[in-house]
This record gives sequence, C-alpha cells and structure tokens, in this order.
Amino acid sequence: MPHAAARLAVTAVLVTAAAACTGTPPAPQGAAVEVSRGRCGVGWAAPHGGDQRIAVHNVGPVTMEVELVDPATHGVYAEIESLAPAATRAVHLVLARGAYAFTCLPEDSDAETGPAVTVADGPTAGATAIAPVTEDDLGPAVGSYRAHVTAGLAALAVDVATLRTALASGDRERARQAWLVAQMAYNRLGAAYDTFGDTADAIDGLPDGLPAGVRDKDFTGLRRIEYGLWHGEALPSLGALAARLASDVAGLRKDFASSRTDPNDLPLRAHEILENTLQFELTGAADQGGGAGLATMSANLDGTRAVLDAIAPELRPRYAGWTTVEQELSAVQRLVAAQQRGGRWTPVRELSTQDRERLDGALGQLLEDLAPIAAIGEVRRTQ
Amino acid sequence: MSTKRRDFLRGLGAGAAGVAVGGAAGAGVASAMSRPRQASPAAEPTVAFHGVHQAGVVTPAQPHATHVAFDVVAGDRKGLADLFRTITERARFLTAGGVPPEIGIGGPPSDSGVLGPAVPADNLTVTVGVGASLFDDRFGLAAHKPAELTAMPSFPDDHLDPARTHGDLSLQLCADHRDTVLHALRDIARHTRGGMQVRWRLDGFASPPRPAGTPRNLMGFKDGISNLLVTDAAQMDQFVWLPAGAAQPWTAGGSYQVIRQIRMLVEFWDRVGIVEQERIFGRRRDSGAPLDGDHETDAPKFADDPVGEAIPLTSHIRRANPRTPQAEPSRILRRPYNYDSGVDAVGDLDMGLVFVCFQRDPDKQFATIQRRLAGEPLVDYIQPVGGGYFLILPGVRDTADYLGSGLVNLT
Repeated sequence: MPHAAARLAVTAVLVTAAAACTGTPPAPQGAAVEVSRGRCGVGWAAPHGGDQRIAVHNVGPVTMEVELVDPATHGVYAEIESLAPAATRAVHLVLARGAYAFTCLPEDSDAETGPAVTVADGPTAGATAIAPVTEDDLGPAVGSYRAHVTAGLAALAVDVATLRTALASGDRERARQAWLVAQMAYNRLGAAYDTFGDTADAIDGLPDGLPAGVRDKDFTGLRRIEYGLWHGEALPSLGALAARLASDVAGLRKDFASSRTDPNDLPLRAHEILENTLQFELTGAADQGGGAGLATMSANLDGTRAVLDAIAPELRPRYAGWTTVEQELSAVQRLVAAQQRGGRWTPVRELSTQDRERLDGALGQLLEDLAPIAAIGEVRRTQ
Repeated sequence: MSTKRRDFLRGLGAGAAGVAVGGAAGAGVASAMSRPRQASPAAEPTVAFHGVHQAGVVTPAQPHATHVAFDVVAGDRKGLADLFRTITERARFLTAGGVPPEIGIGGPPSDSGVLGPAVPADNLTVTVGVGASLFDDRFGLAAHKPAELTAMPSFPDDHLDPARTHGDLSLQLCADHRDTVLHALRDIARHTRGGMQVRWRLDGFASPPRPAGTPRNLMGFKDGISNLLVTDAAQMDQFVWLPAGAAQPWTAGGSYQVIRQIRMLVEFWDRVGIVEQERIFGRRRDSGAPLDGDHETDAPKFADDPVGEAIPLTSHIRRANPRTPQAEPSRILRRPYNYDSGVDAVGDLDMGLVFVCFQRDPDKQFATIQRRLAGEPLVDYIQPVGGGYFLILPGVRDTADYLGSGLVNLT
C-alpha cells in the first residue's frame, strides 16, 4: 500500500510557549515535522530549546511507541506509549541545548531512530535522558530476588512447623510468640499486590470481603490464627488451621519454584510493599488482635531492602535519589525498631501522637522517593 | 493484596510514564479551549503572594476554605527551614498558577491533575501560622517565642478534643472553588511528608448572602455583621497587624490567628422557638437587624436600653461587643466559615462554624470577648471542640524570601 503509506505518515508538530509565564500549556508554533516508519523524525527542522510541546500524530497503519532520545546514548527523554493509528499525542518537556532524535518502535518490527537534530538555543540544563531498562538488564536482579524468596520460603516453612508445635503444647503465650515469628518471616518476602497469586490469600488473607467475615470458612492462614490466638479460641482448633497453613506454604514453595517472575515486578515492588504497609499495618486495619502492625512493618522494610538490593546495580545509576532512599529506609527502620521494647512491639493504637506522626512522616517521605523507581525501572524495548 | 493495579498496568501496556505523557497530550486540547483566557491573563483571578503581610487575612473571604494544623516532624532547625522553603515554593506556584513541569520517564506525574494540565490561580491564598508548641526545645526557638503566643486555653464552656486542638503549624487555604483548595492541600502535603504531618483538618464554606447582606451561619443567623473594615488600613494596623519594634521584632507584619471549631447542635436549635432564638443572639433571624432596629446595618442602641428590655443583657451581640469605650480595644477581624462534617454517634449532624479571627493580641482581644461571653444562653446550643492559637508569619517579601525566614535564621 505505497499510496496509503505516504498518506499515513506519522507527523510531529513542534510547538512552544512560555508556559510558566502565562499559566497555560505551551501553544502550537513552528513547522510540522514528518515521522514515519523508515522516516522517524525527518523534517524536525530548526528545533528550539526551552519549554517545548511536541505533538506526534500517528497516521501510519500500526501502533507504535515513540521516544525522544539522546542519539548518542539512546537515553530516553520522553515517551509516548501505544500511539495508535490516527492518534495524536504530545510530549512536553524542557529541551536543553544538545542533540535529539526520535526513536520509533512499531509493533512487530524493529526500532529505528531518525536523524539527530541540534538544539542550539535555550537553557543549558533541561530534561534528563534516562537509559531504558531492558528485560535482560533485570535478569540478574530477578535471579537474586528469587534466591532471596526461595530461602525465605524455606525459613517460613520451619517457622510454621514451630508454630504447630507451640499450638500443640497448649501454651498460648508460646504459640503467640511463634505466630509472630512466622508472620514476620512471611512479611519479609514482600508479598505485596498478589506477588504469589491466589495461594497468598490462603496464607495472609484478611477477613475483609468475605461474606461471613472472621467466621468465614475461607478466612485461613496467619491472620486467622492471629484472630484465634487473641480471641480466646481453643488451641487445638487453631492447630488444624496451622496444619492447613503448613500445607499452603508447601504448595507455595512448589508453585514459586516453577513460576516465572516478571522483571517489571521488581521496580514496582520497590514502593508497593510499603504502600501496603501504610494502608493495612500502620493504620491498624489488618490487626486481628495481635497488635503486630509494627513488627509486620519491620519485616516489610526488610523485604523492601531486599528488592532494592536486587535492582540496585541497574537502578542506582539511573536514579539520582537512590542514596536518599537508602538513607530514608534506614531512618524508618530505626524508628520502627525503637518501638520494640523488651521483646514487645508497641501496637499502633498505643503509639504516642508524636511517635505516630514521626513514623507516618518518615514512611510517607520514603514512599514519595521510592515511587520514581517504578517509572524509571519499567522494562522498555530498545530494539 | 489487590491485583487490580498490576492487571491495569499490564492490560494497557502503560506504566506511570505513559500516563504522564497522556496527560501532556490532553494539555493540547485544554490549551486550545482556554485560549480566550490566555488572551487576557488579567481575567485570571489571582491574589498576590508576595508582600509585607500574608494574603488570606484581609483578603475578602473566598467561598471555599480548609484549615489544617500540622505537627512538624523534621528533626532540627535546618529541617524546619527546609520545610518553610518548600511550603513557600509550593504556595508561590499554586497561588500564581501555571503549568506543572513534566517528569518524562523519571517518575510519576508531578501534579495530581485535579485542576487539569494548567493549574489556575483561582484566587487561592495560602496562609501559614506557627503555634506555641513549635517553640519547645526541638528547634532551639524557645527564646524567640513572643509572650502573646500561647496554647489556646480551654474556656469554661469548651469541650476540647486534644486530637482536634493545637498544632505546630496552621495552614489556611482559601479559593474560589473546592477543587482548587483540595488540589493545593494535596500538593503541599505531597511535598512535605517528611517535614510535617496533619494533626487535624477542617473544611469550610462561605454561604452566599441569603437573600442579601452578611452571609448566614448554620443556625440561620447572619454572622459577622459588625466586623472591622479590611479596607481601613489604619484600623488593620490598630487591631490586626503586628507592629515593628515589638519585643520579638521578627513578628512585624504578622498577626495572631484564632481558630475555633464550634459545633452547632442544630437538631436542638431547630426545636427552639423563634423568639428565644432571637433573644439569644439579639438579632432578628430574617433580617439580621438588632432587636431594637429595622436593618442589619443598624447599630444597636445599648445605652438607651440599660436593663435589656429590647436586647437582653445576656444576648450574644451585647456580650460580644457591648459598644463601650472599655470594649473597643478587644475588637477582632472575623473571617469565619461554615463547616459540615458528617454525623455523630447518635445520628445527629456534625456541622457548625469554623470561627477564625485575626488580631494583635489573642488574650487582650479574642479571649477578652470570650470571657464576656462565658455562660451566655447560646452555650447550650454550641460546643467548641477544637482549634488553636497561631501566629500568622510575616509576609514573603519577594522571590528570594520565604515564610519564617525571620525566625529560622535567629541565633
């Protein structure tokens, strides 16, 4: 379809305005630029620096991703994902002096980078190009993370066995302590956002959303045992729940060994584990009576540290805030550790206003600074 | 524990950066639609941020407000200074309006998008105060606390809830629209999580005149008829703004803010006869006129009514402002909002007044009035449950200055 191909060119229009002064987005200006498969970025003539809006119109027959890149390093300044035929979308950024090019990544065909253009005016500092993270880049991270989880699951199995023994002993206090060890072992794995699929619900599910709540037959696992331990339920009945838990953990170990970990999960998990902690633990919402929110939070912080350690080789060079994040994570860990006194963790409801605000503030700031890792670490095509 | 987010991301093949770019594309459309406004930038309602005084004190009350008290969690003086700088930077941008910067693939969008791609100023004012608790040993500021700045006392008819009272900082956000207020609060909170945490928050609204004149409170009465004139600079200097040459010179240009969450027991009130209601306030409910007058603007003639035959001696307006030379120094600038905040444990509506006033000395002005009001018949129908005393910081002079600069640099 040569005729159609010519008509369905991808065009980009360069527009600019002094947005900060007028309080409105940059308005259209300047020459139209043609970009298409085989002609990705041709005609982007005389670009200007400063606050720029570049609208890209896909008049081609295939959906493509379009990136604005540094032609020397192929670092990405901005991207348009899934630009469908006939769709127009724009990138908006501050262009510093330097060289730029478009990279087009059409579905089912190779990436191509158009001619480099030079911005000779505008500021000396602008948007920063970030080297895209590929699936291969994250291979070693996935490997080390999986090794960490595999070892953690083995430790969990041991802790659940200890819990069963404690329940069988008839000593409720001993059983509570054993439960806490198992609860922390599981939460060190960072099982946020369905990491372990449906199996996880049987292990760490809450009564929320179950028709009969805490009395629901599908409320099982660590939280169910917690409920029983702190609500006077007979230990033998909890022993049966612990046996089921042991079986579910064994199933999870088997499933995990044969499953694949999506590399995208790791950068996402950098903040998702602690998003869950804030939502369910620091609020007390998940507490079934054990008052173990801060113990669980401590374990979640360990789990986050493990994720960060795994992805650090790829993400540290790409994220200027990495050192800050590591310092903030350590600071939150110190605040949480201070709430364990004489072997007892302060239940969140007993925190003083000042301690609660310090914890909330430190975790909130850490989450803000972890969030960019998910965006930067998102797996991107380069070919 | 939820799978929704992951499914969403995978299903669309779009990460956070993709969403950011989508937002930018939408901006083109909005830009085209808003061009008439762009052609006349003066039409964008804006309250100047820089000045000797902060905005939001003598600024005529915008229709929507939130009053939020924060506790500072920054650990030292430098952290406090960084916090003030950050609040200033955000306030400077939010009150001027503009296009938030694009992050590209480096992170989630820099702005919540609640107000669209170009943030309108919308007459937003950001007004920041400090509470007495900021002057403890955390930041080495104890020697610089003005004597007039104390924690709000509990008055005899108060029912203060500690969780809704006091705070290291007060933040008053007012704008022409509710979404602008909430956008500003989200933005400031997002940029200051490690520096301060919300202690309490109270959303307010200004009712329109019904049908004319001073707006009504939720007891149905016009509230704030007799107020200082914000257009009278001499009156503002006399009653509201802190002078140069005070014992704490860094406070010059500031003001003391009193915030009181006053719940109105509206179900009880609605079961009270109109004559009793009007005698409790001392004004007609329909017109706002004093009980000895015909119009809301009529001045009550207390001197002609020494035993309170027309306007009872215990009525609210007579106790609050007896219009005597002795009472003159206690006048205040009121800037109240109504609030509406759900229901209580017995199913009664939780609504009332965010009483806000400004003055040079909270004890000699607000508290003096409060002492005159002690035991007034109105107290059976209202419950002050929270609030605080705050010192509104001097204004931010220019782009190099920041809130609290005169305080955090003291040695």
